[in-house]
Amino acid sequence: MYEAVHAHPDGDSTVARQALTAAEYGFEGIVVRNHGDDPADYDAAAVADAYGIDVADGVEVRADTTSQASGLVGNHRSKRTVVVVHGGDRAINRFAVENPTVDVLAHPMRDDGDFNHVLANAAAENGVRVEFSLGPVLRDSGGSRVRALQDLRKLRELIEDADAPYVVSADPRSHLELRGPRELIALGERIGFTADQIRGGLEAWGYLVERNRRLTDDSFVEPGVRLDETDG
Amino acid sequence: MKHLPKHLQPRWRYLAVELETWPDADVDRRAFQREVWYAAQNLLGDTGSADADATVLRFEHDDGLGHAIVRVRRGQTDAARAALACIGSVDGVPVGLRVTGTSGTVRACEEKYIRGPAEPFEQRHVVFENAERRAVARETRVDVRTDHTFVGATDLDFR
Repeated sequence: MYEAVHAHPDGDSTVARQALTAAEYGFEGIVVRNHGDDPADYDAAAVADAYGIDVADGVEVRADTTSQASGLVGNHRSKRTVVVVHGGDRAINRFAVENPTVDVLAHPMRDDGDFNHVLANAAAENGVRVEFSLGPVLRDSGGSRVRALQDLRKLRELIEDADAPYVVSADPRSHLELRGPRELIALGERIGFTADQIRGGLEAWGYLVERNRRLTDDSFVEPGVRLDETDG
Repeated sequence: MKHLPKHLQPRWRYLAVELETWPDADVDRRAFQREVWYAAQNLLGDTGSADADATVLRFEHDDGLGHAIVRVRRGQTDAARAALACIGSVDGVPVGLRVTGTSGTVRACEEKYIRGPAEPFEQRHVVFENAERRAVARETRVDVRTDHTFVGATDLDFR
C-alpha cells in the first residue's frame, strides 16, 4: 500500500522524514505529490535505500484555467512518474477526467468543486483515477467535516455506479498527519466504505507507479513489445 | 458495591498507541483522554462512544515522543482505532499517532508493543536551506527549528 504525501516546502516535513514515518507505519511506498509551484528537493533512490520504502516522484498540478492546466500536465508528464491534478473547480475537474494522460484527479469535491455521472463515466473511460481524500475527515471538525462526509458519500456512489477507478489518500502535509493503513481502513469502514475499497485505493497508487515506470522504461516499445537484454 | 461474577464482567481489549509531536510540545494524560472522548463522540456518536468506552490507562509523553494504553470493550477495537486516527491535535498541539498493537491484558500490551524509554535528544546546529538553524535530533530524526515552527527532517537531509 502506498500513501501520497506533500513534503517540505509544500508541507512541514521533508521527503526523507515522510518516508521514514510511512515505512514505520507499514506502507510499501510513498508518492511525493507536491504542488507544481512548490517542488521538493530530494534524492529518491537514497531515501528509498535508507528506509526500505519506495519513493515515487509525482506532482500535483494546480492551475486556474484548463488551458494552463493542459500546458502544465504536458510539461510534467514526461518528467514525473505520477501526475495528479489539483481538483476542486468544475472546469478543472472536467478537464482532468477527459484527459487520459492524467493519472489522478485529486479531491474533486473540495471548495466549490462538484462531480456527476457524466464526469464519473468519463473518468472510467479515460482511466483517470478519482481520489477519495480522507484528510478533511481526519483533521476537520464540525460543519466542514459533515460536508466532507456528504461529499465523500456522493462521490463514492457516482464512482461505484460508473465503475470508475479511484485512489484513497489521507493527503498528509507532515509526518504527524500520516495515519497507518489499518487506521485508514478502520475509519473507511465507519464512514461507509468497505475495507477492500480503502485497501484497493491505497494499493492503486502502487499500480500507477509500477505501470508508469514500465511505460517510461527505455526497453518499452509499444504495448506488448519490449526490448530484452541480450549478449551480442 | 459487590463486584460482578466473572461471566458478567466486561471483557476489555488494550490498544498500544504510539504518539509523536514536535519536540517543544507538552501533552498530558488528561488532555489526551479528553481528545479520545471527543474523537469517539464526533465519529461514533454518543451510542458508539458509550459502546467503545475508550479509557486512557497509561500515558507518557516526553520530548516529542510518547505512548499510551487505551482500554476499549472487546469487539469495539476497530471503532476505537478509527476514532483514534481522527485525533489530529491535543490541546491544539499537532500529534501523529498509530496503534502498534492490541492485547487482552495490560501487561501483554506493555511487554509486546510499548518501546522502552526513548533515546535522549540532542541539540544541534544544522544548515537547512542555506541558513544555520537550531535543531533537535534523536537517532535518525531531526526536527529543525524555523522562524515559527519546526520542519521534520532526518539525517539524510544534512549530508
